[in-house]
Amino acid sequence: MPLVNFTTREITCKIVYYGPGRSGKTTNLQYIYGRVPETRRGRMVSLATRTDRTLFFDFLPLELGQISGFTTRFQLYTVPGQVYYNATRKLVLQGADGVVFVADSQARQLDENIESLQNLQENLLEQAVDVRGVPVVLQYNKQDLPSDLILTPDEMDDALNFRDAPSFPADALNGAGVFETLKGVSELVLKKLSEETPT
Amino acid sequence: MKQTRAVEPWMMEPLERFVTEADARLTLIMTPSGQVLAQHGFTRAVDIMAAAALGAAIVSSTREIASAIGENGFRALNHQGVRHGVFLSETDTPRGRLLALVVYGSESSVGLVQLFFEDLARELNEACPQEIPQKAVISANFERELNESLASLFGR
Repeated sequence: MPLVNFTTREITCKIVYYGPGRSGKTTNLQYIYGRVPETRRGRMVSLATRTDRTLFFDFLPLELGQISGFTTRFQLYTVPGQVYYNATRKLVLQGADGVVFVADSQARQLDENIESLQNLQENLLEQAVDVRGVPVVLQYNKQDLPSDLILTPDEMDDALNFRDAPSFPADALNGAGVFETLKGVSELVLKKLSEETPT
Repeated sequence: MKQTRAVEPWMMEPLERFVTEADARLTLIMTPSGQVLAQHGFTRAVDIMAAAALGAAIVSSTREIASAIGENGFRALNHQGVRHGVFLSETDTPRGRLLALVVYGSESSVGLVQLFFEDLARELNEACPQEIPQKAVISANFERELNESLASLFGR
């Protein structure tokens, strides 16, 4: 559950970008980092290998602004997508208030997407969290690639989105869909928070 | 900005006492997932969050290593630099496990920090209420404010 400070009227939410290796999780955060004014964001922390593959996580703190009189902050994390980093993925997933699943739209990456989605469910279950209770949105990244290489958003929905979660086509490198995805997960996280507390 | 702040007021007194006695420059108390519950010495909220994310990652990854070699966990971690030392430890309270990240300088020492951390852990455990009553947080019609906040964030 998001951390709520009633004394200083602050809400802090943890959002994790999950998905297979090279699907564009870090690219989402880099785009956000580049677009948001310095006064509204902190330093982007990237624990990466020498070839820029995420080793542990990327982290970007954002000041969203005032919502219902609370200063609202988001902590955006990515997990390492490569299969053998599952131990660190589990650590980053701890306490997530919302998840963005970044799928690679390339047809040849479909199995990796499915495997990663199953891995998300397993890792949540291991922490006694039912995936149905966690706000999740899907992002179908790399929709800018030639159409013969990729699946359409509808095809991606058919293959991955069996829970009918909000889904967003994207080209994270150029920013298309990045904002909409963040907005989508923010809405779900705050909606859940508004439902969990007495009004 | 006040030097010492806490999400829940019961943490203030033990933290202020610890900072004074251990002569700590910066201190964070957080949940295992890196959410900050109390802090001393940081000025920007976004800097606090980065430090907490990294501290929680160190503690949780070290715990996994401990488990892999058949240890229950390590009591504390300390990294000693030329000008600063970083001390990380955890403690259990009735509300769950808390992590602490302490940065100290030449006016203090790892021994002093460790000694007073034990007091801090005990005092937090004693002061911790069993349950915090739920209060209303955000109203159901938050969408307009969220949209405006995100639009201004992205310069739209």
